[in-house]
Amino acid sequence: MATHVDALENGLKVILRPLPDTKALSTWVGYRVGSRNEVPGVTGSTHWVEHMLFKGGGRLAKGDIDHLISRLGGKYNAFTDTDFTTYFETIPASAMDTALMIEAERMRNAAFDPKEVEAERTVVISEREGAENQPEFAVEEELWGLAFHVHPYHWTPIGYKQDLQALSRDPLYAHYLHHYAPNNAYLILVGGFDPAVAMQHIREAFAPLKAEPAPEPMRLVEPEQHGERRSDLHRPGAADLFAVGWKTPAYAHEDVPALLLLSAVLGGWRGFTRMAAGEWRPRSNRMYRALVERKLATDVSVRQELKVDPALLMADVTLAERASLDRVEEVVDSEVARLRKAAPAKAEVERAKGQVRAWHQFEQDGVTYQGMLLTTSEGLSSWDAWERMIDRVDRVRPEAIRAAAETYLVDEHRTVVRFHAQEVEG
Amino acid sequence: MSLPDRSVLDNGAVLVSQALPSNPFVAFRGSVPAGMASEGDDFGVAEFTAHLLLSGTRRMGAQRLADRLESLGATLEFRSSEEVLLFKGRCTRDTAPETVRILMDCLSQPAFPVGEIERVRRELLNDLRIQEDDTRYRAAHGLARIVFPKDHPYGRDPRGDATRLKKIRRPDIAAFHHAHVGAEGLILAITGDVDRGLVEEAVARPLSRLTGKNEPSPRIPEPPAYRPRSEWIPMAHKAQVDIAVGGPGIPRKHKDYYALYLGNLLFGRIGLGGRIGSNLRDEQGLAYYAYSSLDTRTFGGMWSIGAGVNAANLSRALQGIRSEMERLRASPFGLDEIRDGKDNQVGSLVVSLEQNSEVAAELHRMEYYGLGMDFLERYADIVRDIPEDSVRAVAAKYFDPGNASVVIAGPIGKARPAL
Repeated sequence: MATHVDALENGLKVILRPLPDTKALSTWVGYRVGSRNEVPGVTGSTHWVEHMLFKGGGRLAKGDIDHLISRLGGKYNAFTDTDFTTYFETIPASAMDTALMIEAERMRNAAFDPKEVEAERTVVISEREGAENQPEFAVEEELWGLAFHVHPYHWTPIGYKQDLQALSRDPLYAHYLHHYAPNNAYLILVGGFDPAVAMQHIREAFAPLKAEPAPEPMRLVEPEQHGERRSDLHRPGAADLFAVGWKTPAYAHEDVPALLLLSAVLGGWRGFTRMAAGEWRPRSNRMYRALVERKLATDVSVRQELKVDPALLMADVTLAERASLDRVEEVVDSEVARLRKAAPAKAEVERAKGQVRAWHQFEQDGVTYQGMLLTTSEGLSSWDAWERMIDRVDRVRPEAIRAAAETYLVDEHRTVVRFHAQEVEG
Repeated sequence: MSLPDRSVLDNGAVLVSQALPSNPFVAFRGSVPAGMASEGDDFGVAEFTAHLLLSGTRRMGAQRLADRLESLGATLEFRSSEEVLLFKGRCTRDTAPETVRILMDCLSQPAFPVGEIERVRRELLNDLRIQEDDTRYRAAHGLARIVFPKDHPYGRDPRGDATRLKKIRRPDIAAFHHAHVGAEGLILAITGDVDRGLVEEAVARPLSRLTGKNEPSPRIPEPPAYRPRSEWIPMAHKAQVDIAVGGPGIPRKHKDYYALYLGNLLFGRIGLGGRIGSNLRDEQGLAYYAYSSLDTRTFGGMWSIGAGVNAANLSRALQGIRSEMERLRASPFGLDEIRDGKDNQVGSLVVSLEQNSEVAAELHRMEYYGLGMDFLERYADIVRDIPEDSVRAVAAKYFDPGNASVVIAGPIGKARPAL
């Protein structure tokens, strides 16, 4: 699909993908700030800022964003990741200026009314408490916290509750002003428009914004892990959970295509952004056969976390009733050992490659998903990096998958969390 | 968009298709009348059967089936609902013929291997246990059981209960499948990178070979008499309370449907959750999610409000919900509010139908409820013609605090707050 890339003088990168057959338009703005740009004590501030950017400022009164988009029948939302933050509106293409105006105001003019900041504190805490109701969240938070001692991937984007209780308006506003500027952002449009006309409207909306001093790069580097890290959580729950994460390189690293196929061979493929996957659970993979078919588990997933900095290849298992965590761990270990020892069969690798290719098409399902795909790719590297990754995946040989397993799936670089579900009284 | 193509095959199956060329793959969604309404007293057998349709056929074992399907890069899912067994999938244009063949094989020739039955039984039992530990599920499901009491299909969990699940045997599953899964009453909606030639060759041809005259589905009984009540489910180990408030609604083809749909949109859906979201989230900062829902089915329906709050804020949240319900009478929707809601509904035609999966679901709904293939053409006029007074009247009539039930699940201690 034809994609046009441009930039404004103030540094705003513009990526346009016109789709002549569609009447809808999805507008995405990404900022190169995520929870990796936070420091201890103010965790969760990037996500809280994201919430504040729906509350007006500049030409927008509180409630205007909601009102303007809703009247158009549009949908809108925002996501805070460890590495980037994104906002989108999907609306009829004829209303492009509405989306551009909202995003231009949001970029520098958010109000951060102290009363609104305070009202949002309990909303953000409520979001965290909703997650805390799920045992999987406790496992995820424990795993990343253990695996990363120095790097901010130590905490999840929602932040710690004690920080959310203590944070005040001024540091949040400073965090916003520091990171929200055209030269730290990118704008993506997908849908029914003419690129030249769109570019003219984009200039009108965004060119008046000045470039700001670029944020200091995040320099924290996680030291090499020397030895396995483990945690056993004993908490109320319905099922035991097993999670393991091995240290793997950053998105741009040359071994990532092999690691993606490695994750697909072990646990199947559910797409790049995972938003399109829905309830689909792949079965033609080694972990499903070793754990679910043998009735040790009822669910298993394996994924290579794609991040700006070195991250994890993770496996999550929901145990069947009366299955033992020790036994599940043994089976996971033996499947990993098998892959380290012998390259997967060519047919197995071709199946994994076919899945990655097919899902690349499934993830082009409409203007919103296409916008999300481009935004995520740009947030990690560049808008077309994922398209190039598909080609790189296609060139991976079975032996490279085995070599990746041998290099990365090693005990001394792994973190294990075991959730022992405690029976709930009453 | 042009009107969808609709054809009724000789075996009774209905095929609906519409090209959506901007999306470079194929999505489909379908159903057969083999849902919970057809399972009689064998609660859970419909869902059990649905889970087993990917567990191997007479032609292919479970592993080979998974290998074949995933080698195509395709997806295929089955699940049971109150009225029908639903299926959906995705594939590319090139792999559509083989994917549809696999779908037909799964529907018509499932093998129900004993080993897979035991695996699925474990999975369903685990799901039941996990659900029982989920505050949001407990509140929502508890409310559905109050609105549709006495094991009515609209109030039951599709998985049944653990006792019954343990007793379901292969002959029960095979008999249910034989009686209810066949061509008659099957609906298949397909969209995306399709054209008439592909639909006829890759879909209509294999679909027309499907046999099986299903036993007529029993008419879903009228829901037993409803009495509003409150239920509290203490779950001390949880961080947050889930609230579900609701009551009986209307069937999809009820005369009040469009007015109530619009009323619900304004009450608890538009933007960040309409009036409910505005009160609980935006003004009071009590909840991350607060919304209302309208579930309409063939023979009945329910409305509900859901919110997740800290236990310390529970009373304020309930008070906020009640005040918004009372405001529907004291301060009904204004003309501007209703106009915005109508604009939202008309505008959403463009926005909500940009994805293959959404178009396939809408095509299926149009056929299932007999709305006509020109429904989307007529939709804007239907919305514009809704009288403003009827929106206010049905909102006040149905979202009635005096007739609402409440279920609260979470760390509530000994507190028993009511609406």
